[in-house]
Amino acid sequence: MIEALQFDFMQHALLAGILVSFAAGIIGSLIVVNRMVFLAGGIAHTSYGGIGLAVYFGLPIFLGASLFAVGAALLIAALTLKKRHRMDTFIGLIWAVGMAIGVIFVDLTPGYNVDLMSYLFGSILAVSTSDIYFMVVLLVVILFIVTLRYRDILAVSYDSEYAGLRGVNVRFFYTLILILSALTVVIAIKVVGLILVIAMLTIPVYIAESLSKSLLSMMFISGAIATLFTLVGLWFSYTYDLTSGASIILVSAVSLGLFLLFSKRGRI
Amino acid sequence: MNVIEIRDLSFSYEKEPVLEHINLTVEEKDFLAIIGPNGGGKSTLLKLMLGINKAKEGSIKILGTDPKDSLREIGYVPQNTNVNTDFPIKVIEVVLMGHVDGKRPLFGYGKDEIACAMGALEQVGMQEYAQTKIGSLSGGQRQRVMIARALCAHPKILILDEPTSSIDITGQRDIYELLKELNEYITVIVVSHDISVILEYANKAAHVNKTLSYHDISDKNSTFHTHGNDGHFCEIELLQMLGSESCNTCEEEQPQWRLKP
Repeated sequence: MIEALQFDFMQHALLAGILVSFAAGIIGSLIVVNRMVFLAGGIAHTSYGGIGLAVYFGLPIFLGASLFAVGAALLIAALTLKKRHRMDTFIGLIWAVGMAIGVIFVDLTPGYNVDLMSYLFGSILAVSTSDIYFMVVLLVVILFIVTLRYRDILAVSYDSEYAGLRGVNVRFFYTLILILSALTVVIAIKVVGLILVIAMLTIPVYIAESLSKSLLSMMFISGAIATLFTLVGLWFSYTYDLTSGASIILVSAVSLGLFLLFSKRGRI
Repeated sequence: MNVIEIRDLSFSYEKEPVLEHINLTVEEKDFLAIIGPNGGGKSTLLKLMLGINKAKEGSIKILGTDPKDSLREIGYVPQNTNVNTDFPIKVIEVVLMGHVDGKRPLFGYGKDEIACAMGALEQVGMQEYAQTKIGSLSGGQRQRVMIARALCAHPKILILDEPTSSIDITGQRDIYELLKELNEYITVIVVSHDISVILEYANKAAHVNKTLSYHDISDKNSTFHTHGNDGHFCEIELLQMLGSESCNTCEEEQPQWRLKP
């Protein structure tokens, strides 16, 4: 593994893995405590529509996917703030329509065959320098918002009705959490792919939840655990020539299994 | 001084009216019990007082102003404080949520806010649990923390929705004793099913079932009959009495229940 580090692509992969893991730890915590896991899965799949459009119009993939995912997040936010009990129906709908749009636009693109698999299961070894910049900017934005508005985000996540009574703009922060989730999902697609992204957003968080007393510590413990899983997964992937995204997820899942076996939580 | 004045209030979610022609005056340092059947409109009345729902007809004044502008004056303890117990949050952080948006530091909480929250925890006897995760507390302890959160902004009125629905009997007594202490300087309004308990502590009772009937019960000896010698009120009779405008049944029928000695 050490000798592999002289390659640019490997350095990029490691850097991207760490950046995305931290973003996933922080935002995954918010997704889990707000019970938005299915929602994040929906946004992940929907963003394939943005990838298809970006390919068709010759735009940067990240830009297309981000805009499409944020659009989906805003749509879901608007729909669920009005009709919360229909949330699962809307998410399922947007999920499938987004993917269909992506597939059709890739079909329509002349002479260009996008490797669908690399978006479904990630392509961490193909991270470019501009991808890294995008990830750094997003992580900085996330850290900035989460530290400056921590108490509002905490209040909305813990007890949104009460937060509203204390003058917190619940709609605004709910939508903000969704937008940050959408952007995090997009960068995580590069690392583990849009199918596996949910596991990356939830497994480290589930372990961190029982180790933390506060949301803040949960976010950073999740980030650290996710980084560990990503690095170990990458090592497996490199050593045994396996798909990186799937390796990372299986390392996470096996670790979760061991954690449940040896912690109190498993005895529920 | 009247802290809450409700005049000829009617409310409906859709067509069917939930509340009709409600009149209610709450005075300073009252301990008001709001009772009535499920679906009778108790929670709706509460939401109107809190400004979550807006009155369609009639008016509500909290300390002379609209409920929306009096967030700071009302401390609210919601029902179901047992949800979300997995949430990683410390007791002190829950209490700090009670502060109304105002002057605040760039990140985290101000020293004065933390001191204030600790003070509120001390009032409910939970200060040693400040750094504990909320999920590891018992139902009664958690309810105390929620009361501390409501006290955090130094409200003049404390409103509690079914505060003892998920607490064991001794825990319930403790909560009501605490409310009684707080009632010495604050107005307390409790929505509750535990009629026999709440009526021992309340000085006013409002029975809400679409309409509202109001009773001054501060002189309990003359108002209530007790069942046998155990000093307990008969809940069925109480409900019938509170639901009607006056207590005629007592005089007409042969009294089955002795007056409380």
